[in-house]
Amino acid sequence: MIRRRWSAPSALALVAITSVWLAAGAGVYLALSAHRTLVAAQASRPGQRQNSAAPLQRLPGTLYLVQAGALYRLQHGTFTPLLNATSTASWTMPAVSPDGRSLVVVQRDYEYSDLYLVTTSGHVQAQLTHDASSTVELNHWALYPRLGPDGTTLWFDYDPKDVYSDYNVVMSVWSMPLGGRPSQMRKWTEPHDYTGGDVQPVPLPAGGVIYTKYALEPSRNRIMGQLWLTTRAGSPGEPLTPPDDDCSQPAVSADGRRVAMICTDGKQLTNIEVGGFDGTTLGPREVLVSGQLAAQPTWSPDGQSLVYLAAQGVTGHFQLWLQQVPPLPAPPTEAPTPVPTRPAAPPRGAPVASPTATSTALPGLPTPTPTPLPPPVQLTSDLDFDATSTIAWHV
Amino acid sequence: MRWRGALALLLAGLFVSGLSGAFAYFLPVALVAYAQTGQTTRGATAASPRPSTGTGADALVPPVASSAFTVLLMGSDDDSKFPSDAVLTQSMILVRVIPATRHVTMLSIPRDLYVPLASGGEAKIDAAYSYGQAADAVATVEQNFGVRVDDWVWVGLRGLVKLIDYLGGVDVTTSNPVLDDFYPADLENSDPYAYKRVLVLPGPQHLDGLHAMEYVRSRHGDVQEDFGRSQRQQQVLRALEAKAKAVNALDIPGVVASFSGEFKTNMNLSNISRISSLLSLASQLNDPSQIEQIVLVPPYTSTGVIDGADVVLANWDAIRPLIRQYFT
Repeated sequence: MIRRRWSAPSALALVAITSVWLAAGAGVYLALSAHRTLVAAQASRPGQRQNSAAPLQRLPGTLYLVQAGALYRLQHGTFTPLLNATSTASWTMPAVSPDGRSLVVVQRDYEYSDLYLVTTSGHVQAQLTHDASSTVELNHWALYPRLGPDGTTLWFDYDPKDVYSDYNVVMSVWSMPLGGRPSQMRKWTEPHDYTGGDVQPVPLPAGGVIYTKYALEPSRNRIMGQLWLTTRAGSPGEPLTPPDDDCSQPAVSADGRRVAMICTDGKQLTNIEVGGFDGTTLGPREVLVSGQLAAQPTWSPDGQSLVYLAAQGVTGHFQLWLQQVPPLPAPPTEAPTPVPTRPAAPPRGAPVASPTATSTALPGLPTPTPTPLPPPVQLTSDLDFDATSTIAWHV
Repeated sequence: MRWRGALALLLAGLFVSGLSGAFAYFLPVALVAYAQTGQTTRGATAASPRPSTGTGADALVPPVASSAFTVLLMGSDDDSKFPSDAVLTQSMILVRVIPATRHVTMLSIPRDLYVPLASGGEAKIDAAYSYGQAADAVATVEQNFGVRVDDWVWVGLRGLVKLIDYLGGVDVTTSNPVLDDFYPADLENSDPYAYKRVLVLPGPQHLDGLHAMEYVRSRHGDVQEDFGRSQRQQQVLRALEAKAKAVNALDIPGVVASFSGEFKTNMNLSNISRISSLLSLASQLNDPSQIEQIVLVPPYTSTGVIDGADVVLANWDAIRPLIRQYFT
């Protein structure tokens, strides 16, 4: 019998070689894993990294935004968490009071949501609605809160039960005194059945409310959004935009003279458009942003710019953007006929190199001389704001 | 000489180790390719003889040009209401791909469409899969619509949820608020008949797998019922296609693992040219006009009641020209 004797150096070399082999195998595995695409990369939390972007720091006033069910305050370029999500409930859709001292925020649970009055530092002061039920279909949604110009009337969306059909769950616009009882709720709008209903109310300084009404558009065989104005509870209201344009998410400037919105023409990408508003009709609309998946246009307190959210990069995370708004044109010498419809399809759906802003004159309507707009400015890059949540902005 | 030998051994070992690491990385793909792809359709191809139905079977379109092909996408709620091999197809979408012109047509088949089944008798088309799985579903579509289905893909609901989550969600402009007080809570509940309230808010947003599923699956609160749902399904499919553009080969093991048992297809490695042309085409679809989306709303269909059940009835005189236009 021949016995092979291993010297210590040989044994060490064998161990070393084996280790290198194992490391090579594991290394290749890990290297391959590391080179996957970043489509599912996690976003940072607001405030997790110091954002030194000057445009963000120069934003005047205070903004309230939502990411992953948590409410954040943005002031002088710094994000501060105000309300955190729990395992079952998330915060969304902040609305700031006219005096800027309090917020009304939605807390959305598994099968219902309620409105809460919250201080600007994030302390819950009162629960304003009570929509939970142990019976699944008897829960309610309360959404899109807004406080009226006097700060004492609360506007929101609510889904009353249809006594004739359990399947017809639609939201309508309601109002009630801030802190009032359920019996004080007033229904303002009558939604179309089985469409989702009327949402996103924005109360006007002169009274009345602008909101998005969803309806089946027969020519397109699909449900589309349309901005409507209702001046008193229960009145039928009037459309402000044509149904084909599929407009929603109205935002009224502080002076009440302009309305911003998103319009899709039934497509995936959205335009952010702005039109003059005389209290009853919407004037020609101007496209400020196109070719983006843009949402939640929100006026700056001075009415000179809008912030909005838009998906960015392969992750599709929604970042905060800023777009300057051209000044209001001088009043025409001859009052133009208010035209809520546009006679021809403008090139709004045409692909536009994102994120180039355009100031597109709409054909057939009295428009100001087209003004080259500065391109929109991306304010954040590694966050992922909730694009279904409104943004609140106060001086 | 000894050192040279040792060096050669080291390098060979490094090569083999690296190969092993790569093999381990792609092992899930190999396992799934073995288990869930390349499934046969038991002879249920367009060339197979089948009984005449008078609804288009006799007018089967001849095999298409070599470059163009048709895929039948099927999606099922694979909860415990039915045996796992006898589920209904909640979604059936015929996809016509013409790589030469970079054009894709998606045609949603209403799940309640009342048709003769390939397995015999008449029923809603969503039952075809439950009687004879993909073979009967494909044959039923072929004989009624007069198209040749070259390939088919079946995905379970959980698989779609996991896939969307793996891809980090999809970006969709949801058309309207989707509210449903009786949405099936079967994915998170052992009771297959449990239900829950669902709310998908309108507008642009980032949907994770569960919420994307709620958006494409809910139909109780839609004025267009299943037609509205079909539009939403096509919408999310396009969002997935957009997301898939960013995926590279190193993502495939993760994608495959996310499906685990929720994915079946007749495509296999012999279809590699078709699969690669699909992936290549997906990366080139930048213009929305390249994708035609068709939902068989009236006048292509009408509603009716048969044996007490609400059904959708086909207007074949209207549908056939559509099929000839887009699927030949």
